[in-house]
Amino acid sequence: MTPFKLEIYTPDRLFFDGETENLIVRTTVGDKGILARHEDYVAALPIGKLKVKIDGNFKIAAISEGTIKVSRDKTVILTQSCEWAEEIDVERAKAAKAKAEERMKQAENDEKAYLLAEYKLKRAINRIETWDLK
Amino acid sequence: MKAIKRRIKSVGSTMQITKAMELVSSSKLRKAKEKAEAGRPYFEKLYEMMTEIAESKKDFDSPFTEKREAENRLFIVIAGDRGLAGGFNSNVLKMALAEAEEGKNKPKIIAIGKKSIEFFAKRGFELVGEYPLLAETAKTADCADIATLAIEMFKRGETDQVKIFYTTFVSPLVQNPISMDILPIYKEDVEEENNTLITYDPSPEAVFNRIVPKFTMSLIYCALSDSYASEQSARRNAMENATDNAEKMTEELSLKYNRARQEKITNEINEIVSGANALQ
Repeated sequence: MTPFKLEIYTPDRLFFDGETENLIVRTTVGDKGILARHEDYVAALPIGKLKVKIDGNFKIAAISEGTIKVSRDKTVILTQSCEWAEEIDVERAKAAKAKAEERMKQAENDEKAYLLAEYKLKRAINRIETWDLK
Repeated sequence: MKAIKRRIKSVGSTMQITKAMELVSSSKLRKAKEKAEAGRPYFEKLYEMMTEIAESKKDFDSPFTEKREAENRLFIVIAGDRGLAGGFNSNVLKMALAEAEEGKNKPKIIAIGKKSIEFFAKRGFELVGEYPLLAETAKTADCADIATLAIEMFKRGETDQVKIFYTTFVSPLVQNPISMDILPIYKEDVEEENNTLITYDPSPEAVFNRIVPKFTMSLIYCALSDSYASEQSARRNAMENATDNAEKMTEELSLKYNRARQEKITNEINEIVSGANALQ
């Protein structure tokens, strides 16, 4: 397959800058596969997984909310945070999950705190799932 | 003479402290600069994408681009947590204060840094958010909290304008306080529709509205890193000057001390000689 250029930025670093043959990403409206010479495309990304095919093998990463922009010369993903499956600190994610669940129980009347805890829970679950897939 | 000696000693120990602070700030500055630079590409890409979307459609509309009379304002003011950094804190705080007093109503304040909190609390401003001790360890999650707070207030109509004040790092010797509008997002009128045939999933507005909070967060994060680098740099300069001054002072004082000592010796010799003369 023809490779194409992919750049992934997070606020604290340039996470990935290289070539990929196939990119599978979950957008707010569903999974989307991207190959070389894809049409120009922009979408929002929820918390989810990212599959990047490099040298015939898929690498999996966990991302939390962002945007993808596909253009002729390259594809750019901007996200709050991004980690390869093998980079994930699963113990920390599990601790975060337990803590978020606890918070959600406590914050039943406080909508804002509840939503925040729910968001954190989603992120933790996503990390754990990604780690399991490695 | 004893007094001079004591002064020399105290100036010397002050010099040691300022020297140490200078070194600490230098090393912190290096880290802070790296951090500030690492965040920039993300911010720039985000900005690029945002303007591109806003310009892609003529009838583009989003709650974030809506212009309202700026009656209720919200200022995000970033200053340091500690003093001893020359004019770093007072410059940015004064700039914010000058603008705060311009409008009809006092703006609400989100204060970042202990100095900023103290400054506005003392002057009777309403603080809707206080974030002490944030700059050094700032994570994007913290900035996301601040961004959410500002955006929610804007959406609910509690504020018509969000502005940020911070100090930008120009060079190791120059740091300037600046202000920037965050919301509403300024949008140029598009004369011609930009028909680049980009597919937006699900729609340009939806993508745009999702990007704005990220953009705000990223902007705050960049401003915070920038301000922190400036603070370290300003402190380094202030401490360098203090060390130089202390050095000069010790020099002058030791000169004085030596003169006084010599004078005393001369006097003693004079006394002895005149005493011996008297005996003859």
